[in-house]
Amino acid sequence: MSMVEMKRGDMVLEARGITKRYPGVVANDHIDFEIRAGEIHAILGENGAGKTTLMRILFGLTQPDEGEILIFGEKVNFKSPLDAIHHGIGMVHQNRKLIPAHSVIENIILGHPSAGRITNLKRTGEEITELCTKYGFKIDLKAKLWQLSEGEKQVVEILKALYRGAKILILDEPTSALAPPEVEKLLASIKLMTGSDLALVPFITHKLPIVLSVSDRVTVLRRGKVTARLETKNATEKSLAKEMVGREVIFRLQRVEVKLGKPILQVESLSALDNKELQALKAISFSVHEGEIFGIAGVSGNGQQVLAEVLAGLRNATEGKVSLDGIDISHSSSLERWQKGMGYVPAERIDVGSIGDYSLADNVLMNYYFDDEFTKWGILDSKGIRKLTEALISEYDIAAPGPDTTAKSLSGGNLQKLILARVLSRKPRLIIANLPTQGLDVGATEFVQNKLLEAKKMGAGILLISEDLDEVLSLSDRVAPIYEGEFMDIIPIEKARREDIGAMMAGLKHQAVKI
Amino acid sequence: MKLGNYQVKLEKKLKVTGWEAAAISILAILIALALFSLIFLQAKVNPLTGYKDIFTYAFADQFGLPLTINRAIFILLCTCAFIVPMRAGLWNIGMAGQLYAGALGAFAVAFAFGAASGSQNLSLSPGIVIPLMMVGAALGGALVGAIPGFLKGRFNTNEIVVTMMLNSIGFWLVAFMIKDGGLFMGAGGEGEGFKLPQSLYAPQILGGPFTILLALGLAGFLYFMFARTRTGYQIKAYGLSPSAARYAGISPYNIPLLVFIIGGLLAGLAGYHLFAANPGVYKITQNYGDFGDLSFYGIICGLISLENPLAAIPIALLFGGLASGARYAQGELRMSFGVDYAMLGVLMITLVAFQFFYRNKIVWKKSEKEK
Repeated sequence: MSMVEMKRGDMVLEARGITKRYPGVVANDHIDFEIRAGEIHAILGENGAGKTTLMRILFGLTQPDEGEILIFGEKVNFKSPLDAIHHGIGMVHQNRKLIPAHSVIENIILGHPSAGRITNLKRTGEEITELCTKYGFKIDLKAKLWQLSEGEKQVVEILKALYRGAKILILDEPTSALAPPEVEKLLASIKLMTGSDLALVPFITHKLPIVLSVSDRVTVLRRGKVTARLETKNATEKSLAKEMVGREVIFRLQRVEVKLGKPILQVESLSALDNKELQALKAISFSVHEGEIFGIAGVSGNGQQVLAEVLAGLRNATEGKVSLDGIDISHSSSLERWQKGMGYVPAERIDVGSIGDYSLADNVLMNYYFDDEFTKWGILDSKGIRKLTEALISEYDIAAPGPDTTAKSLSGGNLQKLILARVLSRKPRLIIANLPTQGLDVGATEFVQNKLLEAKKMGAGILLISEDLDEVLSLSDRVAPIYEGEFMDIIPIEKARREDIGAMMAGLKHQAVKI
Repeated sequence: MKLGNYQVKLEKKLKVTGWEAAAISILAILIALALFSLIFLQAKVNPLTGYKDIFTYAFADQFGLPLTINRAIFILLCTCAFIVPMRAGLWNIGMAGQLYAGALGAFAVAFAFGAASGSQNLSLSPGIVIPLMMVGAALGGALVGAIPGFLKGRFNTNEIVVTMMLNSIGFWLVAFMIKDGGLFMGAGGEGEGFKLPQSLYAPQILGGPFTILLALGLAGFLYFMFARTRTGYQIKAYGLSPSAARYAGISPYNIPLLVFIIGGLLAGLAGYHLFAANPGVYKITQNYGDFGDLSFYGIICGLISLENPLAAIPIALLFGGLASGARYAQGELRMSFGVDYAMLGVLMITLVAFQFFYRNKIVWKKSEKEK
């Protein structure tokens, strides 16, 4: 651990020209970035902007291809998180790595070098209490972890890092799992912590109000590059949103003008809970017409996933009504929805959209086994399904040796093509496409988008859920920015301005926004 | 690990073919037999003599072979009872309880038609009562199997715990029915069930119980079901990825229920075979609990066969043979009690240990020079 004395404003960490390439993508492209003692330095960016990669590099979880990191002016080369910890870097993960059955104090000392053999809980307790007083945390050290709220667990993670001697604390989306009152509490603590010599680096996706309320400086990333580096006092929510989302359009897809038909999907004041039993959808109403792409733009975790699952029949709504082609399907099972002409392209390609150990033919069968077309007396028509799979492989240009290949051997892009091929080949009347291009390379993205446009031309209604504003704007006929389970507005594409929508995705233009 | 100039590394295996699995299993069996030689040596018996006795009795003896086949039928049915839920990723540890219920179901049918009185005159012809007894056995097993299946599907209750507990319940239910004045108590009052009248003895084929055809037929049917039918496809999909199965519209409630009903039904038929079709038995015996214990070999056979009902046939035969052969060798060679169970135990542990090679392979590499 470094014993360098720090003064407020001293440079504690400097990253120069950090570059990390993954096959097909430059995750970090010559990122320069510095942190000073006593500051809260927010890093802002959309999903896939390179935040996670940068964070992993700073904490020694991965090594950069180019560039150097200096800590207290000394050049370092982290081979593992242990090296990073020795240099005073602490990390608070978004997914808590704590043990529910243990007490707070036991969790804090777990993995600490001094806790190797005999633990002096009394002395340790005093030391931790001292830390709490210093940084203004209130927590019962004897409480079991499972008794704590998410916010308190976050505090335990922070204490754990501090107790290991962290001088630079990396917080990965510190507020994403917290309920609003807890967010306020945590922010208060974070502000108090900066009274000392600590440097804090919250990595924040999109919650602009939080960035503005707590940080001293902001670095904005987009597509692996730093697009802005500002003092927070000079920034506004709008300026940050603009930097984060960017202006340039990457793809020039020709939006197809199709005469809209009758409404195919009608949703009336639909509400639902997420896995944490929190209200994730708040009385949403909208409709999708034949030949229309209805785009939902939003940052991850604002209810769009829950919406997709409710519509697909995989999650129960607490209130509201869903009609497909005029027929109430609110209480229909997912199978009935498939049979009635709904097609769902899930965001979780590996865990939900496919079965890795099944062959491609058996994966195609996932959307066909219930049809009489491929079964007779309960016996599957293996030949027929193989033929269909072969046809889809060639039509969708899926790079695979044949229908007997297992799905887990496919790349992400090819897997997505397979899922899309399977769903679209049923000629669904309504397609729910949840993050259809996320994580795909440029070519596959374009392919998927063109296929959606083709389906639209054929008269299908499409509900497109995306975190990529470019995509939503270039494909949709109407756009609904979603924030915390509500549509901020439903805007026809002619009137949609990307700055406005970017701001709405971040929760602006809404009366109830707090913090 | 380093050995001289070579480096030995373990690598993950993605897929194991049927032939590889067979080769690994045969190797494991040979090693188990080698290990078990130590027990022969300790008893001052030449292992070769020991194995000769075991295998001759088990597979080439006019008394031993029928015993082997009887055991093998029983183990095969129990293996299938384990395999079906396993294909859905669920553990059936309750074949014992299900086979007890099956036995009770079969004997309840016989009882209902007046078979307990000792007279040969039944109210219906055996041609009807015997099939009804089988239906009773299947229903009894299926009913007990449905409990963990329903609880799993509805409330996500741990099926291992439920099936295990039902084993105890089944055990004491049988005791209640056949002992101390129970409804099915035999005339002798020796703590066993009533004996079936001769007319209800299950028909025989080539001197063995006809249930061999039933067991082989069911194994073949299950193989076909998993390979070619919609139901098999749904069960496998649920087993490989419950979330993907749900996405595809496969009911997360019905699949656990279905596989446990099928599993229980198969175990119930194993109970029928054991107590109503096994030549020379035809009653729920005093030591019925031992057969409950034997049913656990269904788990091990199911795992070794990689959940393939056809591959389970030779494995069940081997286990059945070793169980009967070792019991015989124990008496013949005047060894201490329990040789048969020790033998099966060693075999089981070795086979399970060798499953490691289903998922890993050892790679030899020439060491790189140190930099």
